[in-house]
Formats: sequence, C-alpha cells, structure tokens
Amino acid sequence: MKAVGARVPRYDGIAHATGRTVFVDDVRIPGTLWVKAFRSPVHNAMMTNLDTSKAEAMKGVHVITSESVPLLEYGHLSALGIPADEPLLAKDEVRYLGQPIAVVAAPSEEAAMAAVAAITADFEEQPALFDVRKAFDADAPVIHDKGNWYTHFEDEMDRRQIRKGNIEEAFDRADLIVQGVYRPAAIEHAPIETQVCQVVPEANGRLTIYSCTQALYFSMGVVAAHLQLPLNKLKVVGGTVGGGFGGKVDTATETMCALLAQKSGKPVKWRWTREEEFLCSSTRAPWHMEVADAVTKDGWILGRKMLTLHDAGAYSRFSPYGLTKHSFHHTGAYSIPNLEFNGYVVYTNRTPTTAMRGFGVTSVSFATETHMSRIALELGIDPFELRLKNANRIGDTSPNQIPYTDPSTVPTILAIADAVGHDLTPEYAGMTPAPRSGDLLPEHLVGQLGNPEAH
Amino acid sequence: MNLTVNGVDTTIESGPLTSLLDVLREELGITSAKAGCEQGGCGACTVLVNGASRRSCLTPVASIDGAAVTTVEGLGSPEHMSPVQQAFTHHYAAQCGFCTSGMMMAAQAYIEGGGSDDHEAIQEALGGHVCRCTGYVKIIDAVAAVARGESFDLSVTAAGTAMTNIGGMA
Ligand code: FES
Ligand code: FES
Repeated sequence: MKAVGARVPRYDGIAHATGRTVFVDDVRIPGTLWVKAFRSPVHNAMMTNLDTSKAEAMKGVHVITSESVPLLEYGHLSALGIPADEPLLAKDEVRYLGQPIAVVAAPSEEAAMAAVAAITADFEEQPALFDVRKAFDADAPVIHDKGNWYTHFEDEMDRRQIRKGNIEEAFDRADLIVQGVYRPAAIEHAPIETQVCQVVPEANGRLTIYSCTQALYFSMGVVAAHLQLPLNKLKVVGGTVGGGFGGKVDTATETMCALLAQKSGKPVKWRWTREEEFLCSSTRAPWHMEVADAVTKDGWILGRKMLTLHDAGAYSRFSPYGLTKHSFHHTGAYSIPNLEFNGYVVYTNRTPTTAMRGFGVTSVSFATETHMSRIALELGIDPFELRLKNANRIGDTSPNQIPYTDPSTVPTILAIADAVGHDLTPEYAGMTPAPRSGDLLPEHLVGQLGNPEAH
Repeated sequence: MNLTVNGVDTTIESGPLTSLLDVLREELGITSAKAGCEQGGCGACTVLVNGASRRSCLTPVASIDGAAVTTVEGLGSPEHMSPVQQAFTHHYAAQCGFCTSGMMMAAQAYIEGGGSDDHEAIQEALGGHVCRCTGYVKIIDAVAAVARGESFDLSVTAAGTAMTNIGGMA
C-alpha cells in the first residue's frame, strides 16, 4: 500500500509530455500499403455475386475475402472450447451494418478507397432484429442459424442461471413485491486513437504485428488460429494503447492485416476512420433487466427473481463471459438469500458488443442500485438505511455461494452519506461489516451464512 | 511551399491541398500531432501556426505557406521540458497520452496569450479537445498551475525513463 496516496513516477509520463510515445500509427515503415474495407451496407441480408475482380485488376492492389482465410470461423472464447460463431470476413450472409466482407491493400489511401469502390455484391435484405425483448417472440426474425440466443453455457444450457435458497417460499412470505425494468443503452468506447494496426512481413518468414490491442496474447492466438500458423511465426508488438476502455480486446484489424501482408509481401497499415470507429467497432452491450423483489415492510429483501437479456449484437464474442460476471453480481452489494436468476445472451443485428469498463457489472449495478431506491421509496424507508440494513457483511454469501471475508458495502455507504451530508440514526451511523448478529440476523438470513475461514 | 517547423526552415513537397497533419506526419515524420478524427472534432492534431492553435487536419498546407509551425517536439525535450510539459507530467494530466499533444499545444497558446488560472477560462480555451481517459480535471489543474507560475518537482513524478513499449528508448 506504499503507492496509495503517494506521488509515484510514471514510466511513460515524460514520453507523453514530449510527444515521444510511439503509438501504432507513429511507427514509420517505408513502402507501406494502406488498408480499407468493403463493408456490409445493410443490417441483415443474404449476399451473392461478390465481385472483387475490378479491384484486383488495379495496379498494386491486393484483396482478401472469406476465401482467403485458412480458418474462417474462430471465436474469442474458442480456446476455452466454446464454438465459434463469427466468420472473419462475411461469406454468404451479413448480419450487421459495417460487417467486413472484403479488405484491400493499395499503395495509397486514395487508391485503397478507389479499390473498395470497385467491389460489388448483391444483397437480398432480410428483416432485422434490434430489440432483445423481441428476440423470443414467435414471429421474430430468426437471425442466427442456431436461433436467436446463445446456447453454449455449461452442459449446453441456453442460459446462465443461478438458484439459491427457496425462492417460492420467499415470495409467499413477502409483504409486497417490488418490480422494475432497467435498460441501459449501448455506449461507444470512442477512444481518441481509432483501431489501428501495422503488419510487416519479415525476411525470416515471420510477421511483425504492431497492435493497439488491450489483450496481446489473446490477439496473438486469434491471428495464429485464423492463419493456421504456429505462434513462433508471429511477433506482436503492443502495450501502447491510445485509449481502449474494453473496446480493444476484440481482435478487430490484426488478422486481416496479417493476411494482406502475407498476400502482398509488403508492410500494410489499417487505421480506421472516426466514422468506422463509431459505425463498425464494438460497443458496450445494451441490456434489458427485469427485477422482482420479495420485500418485508420493515425493509428486508427476502428474495429476488431476475431476468437479464444481454444484447450480444450479431455474434457472441466475449458476451457469455460478460453475462456470467453479471450473474455473480446480480444482488449488487447486498445479501439476498433466495434467488432465481436467468440470463440470456441474445443475438441481434447490432454491431457485436464487447467488454467495457466493469464488463457485465455496471449494467447490473445500475439496475440494483436504482431498484434499492425504488424499494425505499415504496416502503417509505430512508434509502441509506435500507442499503445498510441489507449490506453484505462478513460471513454473508454471494449469489454463487462465496462467503465474503472483507465486504466494503457498509463503509462505502457510510462514506457516501458523509459526503452528501445525509444524517443517519446512531444505530446506522456506527455500523460495521462485522458478522451478523442480533437484529441484523433475522431468521431468513441464518441459512445463507457461510464460513469465511473456509476460503 | 515553405514552412518553418519547430524553428527549422523546411521545403514542402506535398500537394497544396494536403492537410498540415499529413505533411507533418507523413512527409516530415513528426508524429506528435495525432489523427483522432481528421474532421476537426477532437483536437488531437492541434499545433501552433504563427503562435495560434490550429487543427492541422483541417488546414490545407497551401493556406499557411511561409508560416511558423510549432509541435510538441518544439516545446521542449525530455531533458529540458517547457513549463506546460512539466505541469502535464507533474499533474498526471496524460493517461493514454493520445490527446496530450493537442491539449498541450492549446494550453501553450492559452498561456502565451496571458491566460489566468481561472478554471472556466481554461475550459473555454480547451473546449473541443476531447480526452476519453482523464476526465479533464488533472489537465485543467496542470494548466492552472502553469498560469500561476508554479514550478514543478519532477523527481517524484517523472523519475521514469522516456521509454515506450513500441519505440524503445525515445
Ligand atoms: S484529428 Fe484534427 S480535430 Fe481530430
Ligand atoms: S489521455 Fe487518453 S485521451 Fe486523453
């Protein structure tokens, strides 16, 4: 803890302040070709007659399509045994506006744009799906060959579910049920450095990849898998990221640049425009969360039923992981002993969504905190006291049965009350996270206690 | 065409409508000015043209033929940083560093114009410079500190080397 509250040197502070930090776009490589993409102009369509011949006939232009990729489908979670559902380049169908179909490398940015303009394809548009709530409707368009939601949680379950305690008994015993629906919107990460990559084919047969990735080894594995190359053929240079916020964990550009460097035998560079960053790069997911709590008049939450629809966009990428984290946090910072949680990763025709600061957790925090205030309002109880009463304490267990050893809910709520000048009764003002006893250990919470020593 | 770039007289070969940003980055290899949007919206490409802050992505080079251009490289070096550079280092006003060059050039123009440490005036001067990392507070603190003429003890904030992962020793 020596660094907390102290001034510590930054290893890159001087480089930033003197303009010497070398970001990916700043690496100077003579003879570099510019890369641009031919992207889907529609949200959902069958594609036929992709014709790149005019572009390929242009001087110094190289083109890749789905046929150029040794292993077309490889998922970000494939290494964990989860089946891939996204082609590197669209083949017979497109599922989101801006999905890459063909990618070109040309001697200048203008030449690359001209080559993209010379590529044609026919699109037979299909109805598109944008609202996760509609994905389950009988008349919803089926936008994924396996259905509208992801089906590969453990034991091939189609949802992430949590069961704890006895939910029916909790709802039977409740004085009232408090319900809410929460729908935080998608957010674009909008780093000031757009997606950018340079790849150099080296004389020894290796590819040097200058990458702005936030997940270097992930990206290395993804490139190697698509190209069917051993890892020792790739040298990935990263670590200097011009803002990522989660939006640079997907391997957005590296694989396609590597294929074009292989094909052309020349160094290539792809720097997305601001428009591409906004239209085609992944976003934070929009979510649909329905919460129903079994509550007593004096402010105990006996049980929670929750349904979450996580909008993956057109392909799953990291969404199953995000939803899993979400499920572990679905009681927020509070102890609720009886739970029934169901969460689905739903496919839509949005740009695929991905990690963003607090992946999967900020959404559920928004829902649970808003819901706590709603309960307090309905019961006419002080919202701080409601939170303190139900706060996680030492020995309480998380939704997935992990006993808390050092929960920070109580000191955090007290600090907030202090910061906003909110007066608490002495009973609450003096509260600590110590194990439950007396009034704070009502009968319904006895059964959920765990042994923190056991972990 | 000719420009004086960071004090050096330079002949420009690029076409007249080439953006100053591309001239700096692609022709002259001066990379501190960044291409964040290339449409005037983010400020990452900001440099000084005859002392005034300008978005180099929106400046056709022919429109400033003969001008003096200053980039961050012209403010100071790692060994001799300018007050603005020292303040940004001391106040941790750069996180990822991508917006930093543009921010510092706008700050330099503000300070040279006699700007005060008034936070609203600083916000106005840096308006249109987007930073996604810092939340701006540290940047405004840094500029205010320069405006007050403070000096900075960098021994505890800048003891690190000027090393970057991609470039090695700068
Ligand atoms: S790159 Fe010039 S304002 Fe964004
Ligand atoms: S420091 Fe990253 S955008 Fe400003």
